[in-house]
Amino acid sequence: MPTSDHIIEVRDLWMTFPGKRKDEPVHVLENVGFSVERGEFVCIVGPSGCGKSTLLNIIAGFLQQSSGSVLVEGAPVTGPDPKRIFVFQENGVFPWLNVEDNVGFGLLDKSKDERREIVKHYIEMVSLGGFEKSYPRELSGGMRQRVEIARALASSPDIIYMDEPFGALDFITRLKMRTDLVRIWQEEKKTVLFVTHDIEEAVQLADTVLVMSRRPATVQLSYPINLARPRDLDSPGYLAARDRIFREMGMSLKVGG
Amino acid sequence: MSLRRALTLTSLVWVTAISAGHVYLNMEPEKWFQKEEERKMRIGFLPVTCHLTCPVTDFIDRETGGDGRFEPLRFSGWPELKEAFLSGHTRATFILAPMAIALREQGIPIKIVYLGHRDGTALMVGKDSDIRSIAGLRGKTVAVPNRFSNQSLLIFRALNNAGMSIDDIKLIEMPPPDMPAALYSKAVDAVTSGEPFMAQCELDGYGRVLYLTKDIWPNFISCVLAVHEDEIRDHPERVQTLVNGIANSGMWLEDGMDKRMAAASFVSKQYYNQDSRLLKFVLSKPPDRVKYDNLALQKENFEEIAELGKQSGILEGTVRFEDYVDLRFGAAAEKTKKAHDYGAEQAMKDLEGK
Amino acid sequence: MKTFGLPIAVAVLFLTGWHLAVKLSGGDIFPTPWQVVLGIAELAQKGVLLKYIVASLFRVTWGFGLAILIGVPLGLLLGWFKYAAAALNPMIQIFRPISPIAWIPVAILWFGVDDRAPVFLIFLASVFPITVSSMAAVQNMQPVYVRAARNFGLRNTELFRKVIFPACLPQILTGLRIALGIAWLVVVAAEMIAVNSGLGYLIIDARNAGKRYDLVVAGMVMIGLIGLALDVAVRRLEKFDEVRWGYANK
Repeated sequence: MPTSDHIIEVRDLWMTFPGKRKDEPVHVLENVGFSVERGEFVCIVGPSGCGKSTLLNIIAGFLQQSSGSVLVEGAPVTGPDPKRIFVFQENGVFPWLNVEDNVGFGLLDKSKDERREIVKHYIEMVSLGGFEKSYPRELSGGMRQRVEIARALASSPDIIYMDEPFGALDFITRLKMRTDLVRIWQEEKKTVLFVTHDIEEAVQLADTVLVMSRRPATVQLSYPINLARPRDLDSPGYLAARDRIFREMGMSLKVGG
Repeated sequence: MSLRRALTLTSLVWVTAISAGHVYLNMEPEKWFQKEEERKMRIGFLPVTCHLTCPVTDFIDRETGGDGRFEPLRFSGWPELKEAFLSGHTRATFILAPMAIALREQGIPIKIVYLGHRDGTALMVGKDSDIRSIAGLRGKTVAVPNRFSNQSLLIFRALNNAGMSIDDIKLIEMPPPDMPAALYSKAVDAVTSGEPFMAQCELDGYGRVLYLTKDIWPNFISCVLAVHEDEIRDHPERVQTLVNGIANSGMWLEDGMDKRMAAASFVSKQYYNQDSRLLKFVLSKPPDRVKYDNLALQKENFEEIAELGKQSGILEGTVRFEDYVDLRFGAAAEKTKKAHDYGAEQAMKDLEGK
Repeated sequence: MKTFGLPIAVAVLFLTGWHLAVKLSGGDIFPTPWQVVLGIAELAQKGVLLKYIVASLFRVTWGFGLAILIGVPLGLLLGWFKYAAAALNPMIQIFRPISPIAWIPVAILWFGVDDRAPVFLIFLASVFPITVSSMAAVQNMQPVYVRAARNFGLRNTELFRKVIFPACLPQILTGLRIALGIAWLVVVAAEMIAVNSGLGYLIIDARNAGKRYDLVVAGMVMIGLIGLALDVAVRRLEKFDEVRWGYANK
């Protein structure tokens, strides 16, 4: 029974794709089950190709699961919903619109003045003030992701799904984006479901980390991270959490040798 | 400015401007509101000597009468001329006699009412070639305007007389305007069509006459004036006026070399867009290269053509003379025909004024 | 220097080569560049140059315009609805390779010998490339745009208007540029019918008039120059922000 705190509830989820040959279907997800609390920041990590993105797309309503249930706010998911915005890894921003038109895309039913106010607020929040009239092709990768995040936030969703949003960026930009994301999340208090292959990123950001196994993937471990933010990358608590997950995924703590 | 606004604006401005420009420069909007009966009858012709009586009639008509009673339409080639007649756009047209008979065989309600000319065709070979007689054509390539042309029947007849058959030569179809260049570049060995394209080969120095039609088939007929049956039924007076005009023009062209030269000038400038030197040559060297006075329809001419056509395979032989000919207009014109009362000097003066 | 200097240098080289080739060949049928210039001047003086250019542009405007109005929406629909594409695509691919010249007799029979016939032929020549490239534009579109749009609650006509059409516009524009080149190319064939104006008509008529090859080449030169102008104009469109993102011009 879904309780009022579980904003997302996934039960017995299976996903199978037809394979190259008729008698060889591809099992991607197997018996996946977990729940997310309102306002929680949950990260899903796992080896490449294990199906984390597929899982996120199913929860967001872009794909239909083979069997099992996904309940959001107590109701089954039938398709994408403006109250739950998806942030893509790349190219989610519309290239034919400038920054302010992109950010205001979900606000078309509001009055022009209202929209302008909201758009201004969120452009400031992602530190893109001054770039309102710029076009995505004129911006760097990091700036484009900020636009997408601003666009997601501007329409005041309850949940934000993020599919490796910083995966295409360089290391330093990634660190900066994570800091900004945490700051924004603390201000806006949205529920976030964040997929990444980067374990450190998961530990730096999440309240709970869900570790997925290899394909066919299932939830191998649900690990709460009880560290205060801002998180210190040097602290023993951080390193312990990180190592725990490394071990869970069968990875060595030594590089080379 | 946004793309959408730029596009809408430019498109609107452009479409309006170009359409207005086109209507103003190229069309005659007053004519759109004319009723069908008031419209002048359109006659199709090609810029060849065989159809000379058409522009001559029109020019003299306008200079002496005012607005002209017909609207001559110039076409670039036989297919377009034929299709314009088939679609009803032209109600009368100058056309090759075998082509008219073939159309009748296909059920088109076409009626030949008068001739366009007599003679006026030649077969040219390269000046330096060693072809001296019909026999010399064996194995060579000969270009004709159209398989339904009298020129191809002429070749057929000439080959027969020389004891050869059509398979002894290679016959290809080619638009007459392309023939001089083809002969010059030796792409073909011989060309034959109506004038002035044959004269052009001669004048420009690379062609030699193998024969003129008047030497092989005297009183040869090639192009005729044909009218749609509906026009005959609905406006017989108009048809009669047309035939009378053509007849009188024919007589006028035989009324003196000065008139022929004047015709060469005003026709090449106003109607054919050709060098007048060419037309002058065709109309005078020799003076009976083409004739315009004996234009009444004679059954024997057509039966000969029909027979040759059947032998060479371009006609079926399913229609009779009475089916594709209407003799009444020509007969009436023959009784009253006489040269227009219009001097050659007057013609040149009127041409200057244009 | 780059925009004008280099092309002009190439043009000068070409003209010199042309002149020499004619002179060296010794013949007097093919004109030299200067004779062509005189021919153009003669046409302008007779007053027909402007008339003929306007006539050809008029027919291309309407033929091409109609092709856009029909081809773009049709192509977009076919790209989006797979059943429609499966049903209609074979027919389109059968009609596409039939040269407009083959349609000339049909055009005369249906439309007579006025402007409608060449407009029809130009329409035919343009509508197939426009439809096919619009269809390809939809099929090659990034699916992420549609997903994002659906996420924001857009459906059907709004989805089409606000997302699919703008996303496809760069490729549609490229298709239009190519089709315009084809339309302008067909003008000569289209005007071979008994219309009595236009640059294509000029060439046919000059050829019928005997040795006026200087006018023939003059007509060709005018057609080429106007074709260049048309292409430059469409390229201008590609600089607008709404579509510039779609072209990799570094």
